[in-house]
Amino acid sequence: MNNPKDISPNNSVSSRRNFLKLAGPFALFLSCPAYAFDLFKIIDPDGQNSDIQKAKQALEGLTGIVQSAEGIDYKSEFTIGETLALEGFQRYGLPVKNKKLQTYVNTLGNAVAQNSMRPDITYYFVVVDTPIYNAFSCPGGIVFVSGSLVKGMNDESELACVLSHEVAHVAHKHALSSVRRAKFFESAAKIGTINMKGDQGKQYQEMVGGLQTMLFDKGLDKGMEYEADESAMAVAYRTGYDPNGLIRVLKMLQQKEATATSKGSWFSTHPPLSSRLEKCYQWQKKYPDAAQMATVVTRFQSYRKML
Amino acid sequence: MKRPLIFSSTLTFLLFFLLSVCFAATTLYVTSENAELKSDCSSSSATIVELKRGSALTLVVSEGRWYKVTTLLNETGWIYRGKVSEEEPEIEDAGDDEGGLGGLLGGLSGSDINADAADSSRSIRGLSPEAKEYAETTGTPQQSQDALDSVISLKTSNQEIDQFLKEGKIGEYAD
Repeated sequence: MNNPKDISPNNSVSSRRNFLKLAGPFALFLSCPAYAFDLFKIIDPDGQNSDIQKAKQALEGLTGIVQSAEGIDYKSEFTIGETLALEGFQRYGLPVKNKKLQTYVNTLGNAVAQNSMRPDITYYFVVVDTPIYNAFSCPGGIVFVSGSLVKGMNDESELACVLSHEVAHVAHKHALSSVRRAKFFESAAKIGTINMKGDQGKQYQEMVGGLQTMLFDKGLDKGMEYEADESAMAVAYRTGYDPNGLIRVLKMLQQKEATATSKGSWFSTHPPLSSRLEKCYQWQKKYPDAAQMATVVTRFQSYRKML
Repeated sequence: MKRPLIFSSTLTFLLFFLLSVCFAATTLYVTSENAELKSDCSSSSATIVELKRGSALTLVVSEGRWYKVTTLLNETGWIYRGKVSEEEPEIEDAGDDEGGLGGLLGGLSGSDINADAADSSRSIRGLSPEAKEYAETTGTPQQSQDALDSVISLKTSNQEIDQFLKEGKIGEYAD
């Protein structure tokens, strides 16, 4: 016997509406599974519609795919970061062999990360031995900074701002969202066996290759860089550092730009320094007591000597 | 007779409205890890309670870089301004499921990535089996693997971070 509710005209209209809402994601699923989940989010952003939620769960169970590049779990994110870091060492050189210096930078980085918008993951900071002026972050929180960039700085607040900039990229998952269209995210199974030497292994390597191109050569979207700059000043200030440290680093880089190697550096992977400085001067107004904040010159320079 | 009554009622309403706006309690949220409620506006004062990220606090008064606040459990104390915000932070569900790539690649070697994102004490760990497998497949030099292994084995505790900030007279440890 049917429940009268099931055959009421209102229910029939509602079912029809839900059917139409579900038809889109399923059609999209057939051609591109990962994007079907994005469409679910647009149709039912708050997860209020039980029919749509059930359908979403069914689709998850059916495919077991990673929902989206930005929505992946921390473990997966960190695994991608590890593999990218392996490529980073090959591209930019190995860590500077000085444990005291590495511990200093790692402690400073974690101090600022505690006040970032994503303080609940572990961050790892490493100074690499390269003449290129650069810093970049891998998904999951492994942050590289070149010895040359550190050498060019004059105080701890400058380094704090650069590390905060990289932490912001991790927190906002900028790199992952830049490769969200990678084929790997369309078909990666949640549970099962992916052979690194098989097709999905190849797709994984392609995705990591895409990340390398993005971080080492082309650079992230300009808007992401500006967002990281704004966040860097805020996080450094919240920690207790002078946020103008970022302005001083950018000015230092402006002076070096003419003679420094451009390929694979902050010069080629970041927006023009003049436009970044222009924006920083605007954000500077938010910190009227910046001059009273810490710069920590002596300690920084004692570690800089180790380079 | 009616007009003065309407006028006085409107005036009273406006007065109450303005007073409520002026004296509305400001809610702050703990946005940093390692946040403590202090008994005075100084880092050297006693810690009343450790505050979890996302905890709501009511602002009583501000003094310099410190805020006097009350917790939901009615504990009153001081917190450094850099640890709080008027915006509620997004708390990430770090999760510990086997889903995603970690679980997936873990299936290959029968292992799991031993990461606990929710654990603020920074645990020691080495290169994950998944990254090792990637390195083997792609012919990554051993020295790059050793480099990554050394980086992710570095441990920084909250106490070390506090000591670092204290030595540099930074943030809540500033003079």
